[in-house]
Amino acid sequence: MREFMQYVRNAFYGATGWSEDNSYKDLNVTARELIDFPLPRGIRLSLSSLATPHFATSYQLCNVGVVDGSISYLHSSVPLTAVPAQSDKIPLGALMRSYRGLHQLGSRGGTPWSWETGPQTGTIPQVPAVAEMDRIPNKDKSSLLYGRLYLPQSLLEAMVIKRFSSALQVQISAVSEQSLRNGGTMLSVVQYDRGNYGVEGLYSTDGGLLGLRGLYNFGGDASVATMGSPNGTGSLESTEKERIYGRFSAGGEMYYGTLNKSGGMSLGARFATLPTHKGTPLTATLTINPLMGNINTTYAVLAKDFLAMATRMEFNAYSYESDWAVGLEFWSNRRPAGFLLGAEPSLDLESDQSEPPRKKERSFQAKMEWRLDDPEPEPAKIIEKPTGSKEEYLGVFKARLSSNLNLGLVWEGRAKSLIFSLGTGVDLQRLGEPFRSLGLEVQYSS
Amino acid sequence: MAFNFNWSPLTADAGFYERARDLLTTALNKSPKPPIIVDDIFVTEFNLGSVPPDLEILEIGDLAEDRFRGIFKMCYSGDAFLTLKTRVQANPLNTYLSGKPGFASPEPLSASSSLTIPLQITLSEIKLSAFIIVVFSKQKGLTLVFRNDPLESLKVSSTFDSIPFVRDYLQRTIEQKLRDLMMDELPAIIHRLSLQIWCPDQIIKDDEEQSKETVDHTVNPLSTPPLDAVDAEGHLLDPAAISELSLEAGTETQSLFSQKSLFKLSSLTSTQETSSLFTPSIKEVMYRAWAGPSDRVDTTNTPGPATPSLHRTTSYTNGTAHTYTFSDTASQDQGHLPSRPSMVSLNSATAGLSLGSGRHSKAGRKKKTRVVNLRGKTSSEGGSDAGESSATASTSTAPASEPIMSHPILEVPEEEMPTNTNKVRFGAAHPRRPSFRGDREPASETVPSIEINAPNTTQKQPSRQPSPVDMKVPADWSRPRAPSEISPSVILEQAWVMKMAGEIARRVYDEKNRNPQFWEERDDTPPPAYQPRP
Repeated sequence: MREFMQYVRNAFYGATGWSEDNSYKDLNVTARELIDFPLPRGIRLSLSSLATPHFATSYQLCNVGVVDGSISYLHSSVPLTAVPAQSDKIPLGALMRSYRGLHQLGSRGGTPWSWETGPQTGTIPQVPAVAEMDRIPNKDKSSLLYGRLYLPQSLLEAMVIKRFSSALQVQISAVSEQSLRNGGTMLSVVQYDRGNYGVEGLYSTDGGLLGLRGLYNFGGDASVATMGSPNGTGSLESTEKERIYGRFSAGGEMYYGTLNKSGGMSLGARFATLPTHKGTPLTATLTINPLMGNINTTYAVLAKDFLAMATRMEFNAYSYESDWAVGLEFWSNRRPAGFLLGAEPSLDLESDQSEPPRKKERSFQAKMEWRLDDPEPEPAKIIEKPTGSKEEYLGVFKARLSSNLNLGLVWEGRAKSLIFSLGTGVDLQRLGEPFRSLGLEVQYSS
Repeated sequence: MAFNFNWSPLTADAGFYERARDLLTTALNKSPKPPIIVDDIFVTEFNLGSVPPDLEILEIGDLAEDRFRGIFKMCYSGDAFLTLKTRVQANPLNTYLSGKPGFASPEPLSASSSLTIPLQITLSEIKLSAFIIVVFSKQKGLTLVFRNDPLESLKVSSTFDSIPFVRDYLQRTIEQKLRDLMMDELPAIIHRLSLQIWCPDQIIKDDEEQSKETVDHTVNPLSTPPLDAVDAEGHLLDPAAISELSLEAGTETQSLFSQKSLFKLSSLTSTQETSSLFTPSIKEVMYRAWAGPSDRVDTTNTPGPATPSLHRTTSYTNGTAHTYTFSDTASQDQGHLPSRPSMVSLNSATAGLSLGSGRHSKAGRKKKTRVVNLRGKTSSEGGSDAGESSATASTSTAPASEPIMSHPILEVPEEEMPTNTNKVRFGAAHPRRPSFRGDREPASETVPSIEINAPNTTQKQPSRQPSPVDMKVPADWSRPRAPSEISPSVILEQAWVMKMAGEIARRVYDEKNRNPQFWEERDDTPPPAYQPRP
């Protein structure tokens, strides 16, 4: 389950039209989230609010042996008016959905991307709809400020995201804590995204680490989009013509620590189906670290709308060490026993969705975007379909198993207006005392 | 007397190596390991070898059934070896990221993938050469200290021997670690082990005392030689030696005194150098302002420079009183030092110094009797001072001499301040001495001589030898104390003091006979009245 602040941050990305598809860092993010989802530990209560369209707060109280907590604030220069922030209206997919489909390529190439132009049948679960995005006056100069203070430890996190142009964004994050060397560390990332390629440069004050990573898209819509019109429908037609429903991406990363004179690098490639793909959506990645002899492959598939699975295999050519892990995510539309006491959150959701009816068609489509996760091949079909089937999901069950027989189980869902996450870690090698961790997270936002 | 060291039986014990391996393995894995070590450290092979170390007895300081103190010289170039096995992380980025907060992490995708490499390190051809001080007592366990860096050379061979850079790095790092281990950790481990064996109930309690004892050991050998040299030749103290001395004591002062009282003292000193009206109050300090009426006459006559010096010295003496209660050994060596400041304040710096040097040679020799109640001493001191002050006041020479003396006074305390902390014992004698002086010599005679000497007091101080007055000190010294304190420690101390005083007197007498003209020329003015308020 993503935290509220991350949800708002993703909403900010969505509002400003920034997609993280073109970041090499997120090359295998789908499989990673399906397998390495965080297990809740102890009891954690968070109370969040998007107080104004520009300002969000979140308070968190944890109890893992000791009681601690955090206070966080976020300011966005872009009004996040259409983002549902109430915990009974937040789309669960945006909080919990792991499978991340591809975005429309070149969505911010030259013309501002809007919900009307592109058919956008793919799944964009992390980016909530911002209906009037094209009306935002200066979204190319938007900025986001975020700060979080962990209280007993007095650890401070700060983040600044600043857009300089439609393709250039700078992101600075810093952590300050006494135990860290030099009292803290700061990381600045410059991201340049030109649609069919994206480049990032980074510098970390810790060890003076310099980094450069890039990703280049080719094949599928990437090659078409460059030659064809930026219009979404045009690209759709051309891809259909060519019968290529996938996109290839290749990239690499390079790091060099100027102070400790050490470095590292890796190369990676990805194939992911496009939203227009009619069959089962899948994502496959391969990353190689030639210095360390590490080969890593992942394969994630959205078998059904309610079922996503992923596997990951690792092998080291030098030390012959290997590792594997599998993860799955199962959405359920059944009520979790004992939690729902008659309330139908789905009904609320629907009414809420129809609430901002400024542009009926658009908002409806927008709803599709983050509500409907399965890659429906034809937008017309979706429009015809009643929304009932999609709104039924009340929770998701996630499981993972790794090669050392550690099993992680999480149930996340909504009960009334609270969002729960209940999870445990089980060590199958020690069946006498299998439960390694147990946790419950409760999130409420208004 | 013979010592029998068994080397082979130790190794012949079948279970010994297994136990030692287990012990070492657990000891190595106890502390959190750096992120570069990704597995437990296993001691796979451990062998003490067949060649025993050469032990040479240099000195046995103390030998009894329940205690032993000695210095050995040990040389070892045997065939012992030790093999460790673990796994290390070879990717620098991976170790770089560990322990870093995730929020500001660069989040490399695959560049930080781990590559663990099994590592085997063999330490062999260990060459040791060291002076070992062994102190053993049944109550306090066994203390073993290396006086020098024992590790001469060591061969480190590992899986990475083919890569010269890594090999050199490992060699360097391990040598350094081993040095630290032998100098710092090994004595502590041995001591703890010995406590477990002989006195398990004192493990915690004795820790502090033990540390104190080791401190003593480090201080004694350093401080004694230079002082003795000075005494025998009757020359200046070697400045380097002095500084070394004061440094030693200075560090000790830091650890022994509470920061708070040190701060108070320093603020008190600084108030005298500025025009600040505020004077911090310190307990058990004798202020000039409290002095009796006769003293006040002095102060009025020489208000400016005299007062600060007096305040200083009193504060120092007070400091010494505190120290003394903590570590008595050190005080013996430098027992003269407290006397210096007090002497200075009393306007007879030269006498004080010479007295100190004469005494302290004796102090170095006699070490084991040191239970002194400082508080009691100061009080008796105060009493005698009262008597003195009246005597000196009558002579009326004091006011004249005092301003002159103030310059050297200012210097002396600064030099001696750190060492000062340790000495207490002899301090009592000085205040009393002036009274004798007053009896024996006419005041008028002393005044001019002091004036002449004053400018170069600092030069002459060390060379001067104790005045005849000192001879009288012992007799007089013990007198006031006996009634006031009846505890056995005091009796013990009295006996010791008597002995010391006799020795001092004898020395002084000899010295005086050797060059009589020197002694005549030097003169003590009657000290200024100095009467602390009890």
